Amino acid sequence: MYSEEIERMLEKIGAKIGDKIRISKRGEVYEGILMPKSEFSDKKSIVIKLPSGYNVGVRYGEELKVEKLEGHKKVGFESREIELKPVLGKPTISILSTGGTVASRVDYVSGGVYASYKASDLIKIVPELREIANINSKFVFGLMSEDLTVEHWRKMAREIAKELNSKTDGVVVTHGTDMMHFSTAAMSFMLKNLNKPVAFTGSQRSSDRGSSDGFMNLVCASLFAAKSDVAEVCLVMHGSVNDDYCLAHRGTKVRKLHTSRRDAFKSINDEPIARIFANGKIEVLNKNYKKRGEGKVQVDDKLEEKVAMIKTYPNMNPEIFDFYIEKKYRGIVIEGTGLGHVPTTIEKFSLIPKIKEATENGIAVCMTSQCLFGRVHPFVYANLRRAYEAGAIYCEDMLPEVAYVKLMHVLGHTKEREEVIKLMLTNMAGEINSRGSVFE
Amino acid sequence: MRCGIEIHQRLATKNKLFCDCSTQIVDEEPMGVIIRKQRAVAGELGEVDAAALHEYSVGRTYIYQVFPSTTCLVETDSEPPHPLNQDALDIAIEIALLLNAHVVDEVQVMRKTVIDGSNTGGFQRTAVVGLNGFIETSKGRIAIPTICLEEESSGIVGEERGKVTYRLDRLGIPLVEIATSSDIKSPEHAKETAEKLGMLLRVTGKVQRGIGTIRQDVNVSVEGGARVEIKGAQELGLIPKIVEKELKRQEALIKIKEELAKRFKKSKPGKEKAVDITDVFSKTSSKLIARGIERGMEVFAIKLENFFGLLGTELYENRRFGTELSDYAKANADIGGIIHSDEKLEKYGITSKEVEEIKKKLNAREKDAFVIVIDEEDRASKALEAVYERALQAFEGAQKEVRKVLPDGGTSYMRPLPGSSRLYPETDIPPVRITKERIEIIRKKLPETVEERKTSLLKLLNEELANKLLVSENLRFFEMVVDKTKVDPVLVATTLEETIVSLRRAGIPVENLSEEKLFGLFKEYKSGRFVKAAIPEILSFVAKNPSKRVDDAIREMKLEKISKTELEKIVKKAVEENKGDKKLAFNRIMSEYRLRVEAKDVMHILK
Repeated sequence: MYSEEIERMLEKIGAKIGDKIRISKRGEVYEGILMPKSEFSDKKSIVIKLPSGYNVGVRYGEELKVEKLEGHKKVGFESREIELKPVLGKPTISILSTGGTVASRVDYVSGGVYASYKASDLIKIVPELREIANINSKFVFGLMSEDLTVEHWRKMAREIAKELNSKTDGVVVTHGTDMMHFSTAAMSFMLKNLNKPVAFTGSQRSSDRGSSDGFMNLVCASLFAAKSDVAEVCLVMHGSVNDDYCLAHRGTKVRKLHTSRRDAFKSINDEPIARIFANGKIEVLNKNYKKRGEGKVQVDDKLEEKVAMIKTYPNMNPEIFDFYIEKKYRGIVIEGTGLGHVPTTIEKFSLIPKIKEATENGIAVCMTSQCLFGRVHPFVYANLRRAYEAGAIYCEDMLPEVAYVKLMHVLGHTKEREEVIKLMLTNMAGEINSRGSVFE
Repeated sequence: MRCGIEIHQRLATKNKLFCDCSTQIVDEEPMGVIIRKQRAVAGELGEVDAAALHEYSVGRTYIYQVFPSTTCLVETDSEPPHPLNQDALDIAIEIALLLNAHVVDEVQVMRKTVIDGSNTGGFQRTAVVGLNGFIETSKGRIAIPTICLEEESSGIVGEERGKVTYRLDRLGIPLVEIATSSDIKSPEHAKETAEKLGMLLRVTGKVQRGIGTIRQDVNVSVEGGARVEIKGAQELGLIPKIVEKELKRQEALIKIKEELAKRFKKSKPGKEKAVDITDVFSKTSSKLIARGIERGMEVFAIKLENFFGLLGTELYENRRFGTELSDYAKANADIGGIIHSDEKLEKYGITSKEVEEIKKKLNAREKDAFVIVIDEEDRASKALEAVYERALQAFEGAQKEVRKVLPDGGTSYMRPLPGSSRLYPETDIPPVRITKERIEIIRKKLPETVEERKTSLLKLLNEELANKLLVSENLRFFEMVVDKTKVDPVLVATTLEETIVSLRRAGIPVENLSEEKLFGLFKEYKSGRFVKAAIPEILSFVAKNPSKRVDDAIREMKLEKISKTELEKIVKKAVEENKGDKKLAFNRIMSEYRLRVEAKDVMHILK
């Protein structure tokens, strides 16, 4: 929004966004289309698009005169649903849109990129999707992934299951990248008896640019959903900085490791399941996966929401636990250091009493490592043993984010400590890999 | 005629416009490459740009070379841009003021869709800094509607069959783009205007110098023609020729249009399709075609009704309408070239019997022309579709389009002229407000005008040298050297403007003579280590051995000035040997020690 003063003036002359206007200021005359103000621009400047296409800001003041001229141009992207007729003999996939950069447009109000595309808009931009499969598209919600909550996971799981239980060969979910690995983990635990591929994809560079990685990601995810025999929740994104191939990572063994590069996602403590080329070739890299099957997918959406994550760091205050104990949390995942350490020996800083207290209060305290790569171990050092003895459950080679989601899932079913320990240490959806690989 | 020019000048900032990479392109090997694809996307107003779509339809792969000191994640479109380089903005404001322009209150960085791959993001970042400026020329005032600050594109390394290689070192160097109105009066006037603008940029001393650091685009149209943007004139001298040839080309296209109107009085051209004519050549003696077929390609042809004779029409010297068809097909389908019926087909080894058979297959009559392409089926039919489209365009005369300069000043088709819908805001960069205070600080420090400059130069140099320096990119450097080293201005000017030019003509790689090395030369000269006559020798040594310094040249080539005491000995000996004939002795000494003694010193001792 412009400043009140400008808004009032525009209202007075009857000029709306998209109208042609003339601005005169100290002998200078500008004609162009009135544009919305972006969040960061000066509130007191009027933004107009010149006939050359350039936008400039003209600072509003007494000496400035604005006139409305004849003419109007619609500003913004118009979403148009398109009718798609199925082609016999081609696989059918469902593309569920949940938001994120892969489905984003420039937003002139906030000045940022904003999730607004519908899946059918994507087909318009990536026409080759229709060569791959018949596409059913559905707009589930349009959120940037940092805004997702457990309720969104429940909705997502129901929508995915609904598609999987219809005549689809696989599901693609477009999603914001930041928390995509949380969602793939959640879906991995929540979708029981999975029988078809579920491919999450997104883009690191917004799809309003010709160079966006999202186009190829969407093509590869669709290929994977339509043609692979992997009945798991996977995350399909660029495998390198080139636009050459994508990797399908297991949904419980993947993490975003770069803020902006297109190959931001890497498999951790596991091999990617497949390499997918835009020309349709799919290479299996890791034969350890669940194959397509029959039956019906069930949604298990019991999740305990009173679960938190605590990262350890030097000089941290152990009182952070008090908040969670007081608020009657049921689970805490600690991102420890190295093999699963927490500050131990200096009394003032030691987390050991707090782990003990939390455990005694019926909170399941799980230990993971901020190293991400490798496995935690409760016995190698004395300090590790002390955390273990205090009650920490050492979560093998599980990623902290995955342990967090899994703990919600497990606590959704049982609060029995022995049962929780057993389930946390049982491989449910590929989240535990008992054999660490020698090379990356 | 209507004619305008656009100047693109790189700015001499330390860092690039949107990241901290160096703007100095150094001679280094690429560390590796990245491979990318691009496609057309809708612009801000929801429209997909025509030029963008065109390039997408070609379906190219882009290969980008990455260099150690000049490429980071920003150039590879793997990281959002850093904030706008404020030094570059200051220089752009300064240039806008020198051009009598109004500096905008708020700079909004825009994305200009460029999907030829020259920018990894699929767009070039650009911003208007100044509006409504002007420059005076001998034929009156030329308006400068916009002055933009933008990022340099990547440099093209090569292109082959759908794969284009670019180097990322220059991507993101700040540029100012100065666009004139189309009021330029004549081809020569275009050159003069470009020259004036170039001079004005150089007096700031804040622009890069050297090959490729300034480029001129020319926009031309004739009455009844169309606006054509011609890219990449690097030499000012070529500008009049470019304009003349484009005027001729558009006039010739108008004539073709008129001729077509006569030929199609009552009818309209029918829809034509590419036809497979490979079997015509099953026993061909055409080596070109036989080789193509052997490599698994096919021969396709298309009929152009009533076009007989038109493909051979000359547009300007050495360019025929057929070449236009060929360029268009190359740009759209990435093929090697076409063969058309207005050519001497015997030169390809195509017999008249084969021609008859082709005509039969195409159902072509005497008045019709045809075009042949030898390639894979998809590519060949795409190419012939493009040929057909270009032929249809001839009914409307010249087309709005972007063309590139050829070495002879001619041009060839590049892509359709982009529209204004290709600009949309760069939301990663917040708009920058330019305060009055900032403009005033810059205004107070504006450099002298060109006229003021000339007056001060005439105090140091004769008119000829002063004029040379005024249009030279060495002007600022000259002033700095004279100021700091106190070397005779005439020697500095002749070295920069004459000695180096003749070395270049002799094939010496003078582009290796950096300002740093030249400065070193004058400093050593001032300290008396060598004589004037040794300058060309030292410069060519340093140019040929870029890793060596002036000091190395003096030592390795033994060019040290002979000391006074030693010179006295030499003179004495020479006089003795020449039996007291001083003139003979002088000639003898100079022929032997020309590069190490000053003639006046020898004369002085001889006296």
